[in-house]
Amino acid sequence: MNRKSVTATLLAAALLSGVAMQSAFAAEEKTNPIPGIPSNSLEMWGGKDGVHEWAVALFHYIMLDTRINFLFKEFGNPERQIFLNTQLETMVLGGPNEYQGASMTAAHADLNINMEQFNAVVEAAYNACERINLHYWACNQVIAALAPFTDDIVTR
Amino acid sequence: MKRNERAARTGSFLKAAAILAAGLFSGNAAAGFYNDGKVLLTGGVATIDGAGGGGITPWAVINGYGTRDGINGSLHYTYAYLPNYSLNSYGASVGLYDRLELSFTRSTLPTGSTFDTVGLIAGILPGVVGDTGIEPFNTTIEMDVFGAKLRLFGDAVYTSDSLIPQVSIGGFYKDNKNKDLLTTLQAAKRKDWEAYVSVTKVYFPFSTLVNLTGRYTSANQTGLTGFGYKDRTNGGSGKKDDKKEMRLEVSIATLVAKNTAFGAEYAQHGTSLDNVGVNLNGIGTGQLVGAITDALGPVTDVAGVSLDHLDDTLTQHEDDWYDLFFAYAPNKRISFVVAYAMLGNITLTPDQHGFYLSTHLTF
Repeated sequence: MNRKSVTATLLAAALLSGVAMQSAFAAEEKTNPIPGIPSNSLEMWGGKDGVHEWAVALFHYIMLDTRINFLFKEFGNPERQIFLNTQLETMVLGGPNEYQGASMTAAHADLNINMEQFNAVVEAAYNACERINLHYWACNQVIAALAPFTDDIVTR
Repeated sequence: MKRNERAARTGSFLKAAAILAAGLFSGNAAAGFYNDGKVLLTGGVATIDGAGGGGITPWAVINGYGTRDGINGSLHYTYAYLPNYSLNSYGASVGLYDRLELSFTRSTLPTGSTFDTVGLIAGILPGVVGDTGIEPFNTTIEMDVFGAKLRLFGDAVYTSDSLIPQVSIGGFYKDNKNKDLLTTLQAAKRKDWEAYVSVTKVYFPFSTLVNLTGRYTSANQTGLTGFGYKDRTNGGSGKKDDKKEMRLEVSIATLVAKNTAFGAEYAQHGTSLDNVGVNLNGIGTGQLVGAITDALGPVTDVAGVSLDHLDDTLTQHEDDWYDLFFAYAPNKRISFVVAYAMLGNITLTPDQHGFYLSTHLTF
């Protein structure tokens, strides 16, 4: 591996773990799905604790999926990902913006993620909702809220 | 020498073709083209015309599970059990890079007692009416449908922060095999094309998909009874009306789980053959009823149909189509649709409502 690719790999790993971009200001904002996320969405999810349980289940399924688990094994830190995803999903479901990670664009810029890999994460998200016995309708609120990030994440 | 050179050149060509074919169809190459990366049910199921969509309405989505990075194919079979007909529709489609969809479908429509009655009447007057294309039993309508769809812009699934839907245009070329029967029904054409534009959007906060389609067509009963109208009665005007018109189609599907949806569809139909009688070799319905009454003398009914109502029986009607459906996809390889189709008058027969079963295999 040449010096340039080593640097890129380290940068990507750092970005994905959120360490490099931590700041006092959140690097990502709430999205604006139409016609809006119901005000009781976070409550339906069981608050931040429920979102955390879902994030744990999400990474359980992601790490079992051979279409995407190598990305996370190579670049990611699942514990850190669960922490950041809990913050991100809590925010988009109507909670406070305490997200400490990188912006979606920055975090995924060098990962060369394609549509199939993105959809694999969406499938893992639905599996995680089932795992924590979250109603499909409530689950779709987070899909609606995260969907606008698609073009920031899928770069291939 | 020249022969040897030609043979060598042919050998090289065959060798190159063999290498190319081996490359194309080898596992690695197939893995390069093949893609099934879409989320469950987001490619729709197969319409009776073979396009990706609902049961009767094409949607803007490209059929199958291929993303923009590959190709995905599918097979489908649909069976609709109606009181006087049964529709069988089967075919294949391929989705290319979530941009282009190509499909072929064959529809067969075995007809029932009403057509049998017409066939029987034609049989009573063999020297008069000639070949009507309708037999006293087992008259079957067959039609081939070639389809193509192109996604223009938009993403039905992931642009939840925009009102812009996924928009596709498409078309069908339909080739009805029953020339004599369509002459009897007074259709203007047995082959024709139709075009459509579909807009589709998923509203995740409602777990609901909405589709609107405008279909530019002159089809009678989707083409199963031809296209347009031509007056073929003796002494008639000879009027021909095969102009296409834009007809509205709507689908609404609510997802109750990631693999289960239910919903409703509506498809506007034309009126070209509405209130048009059959024509048996130039003999219109009125003349025909008179001839039959004269021929049968004291007989007052044929196959249970009173001669008093024969005029109505031999007059066609067409209604808009509706259906309520339930779709279930246990995995990406197979899905099932159960629907209740309310198709109203189908040519000579009223109240054609019944169950519809469809399966869609993707690979």
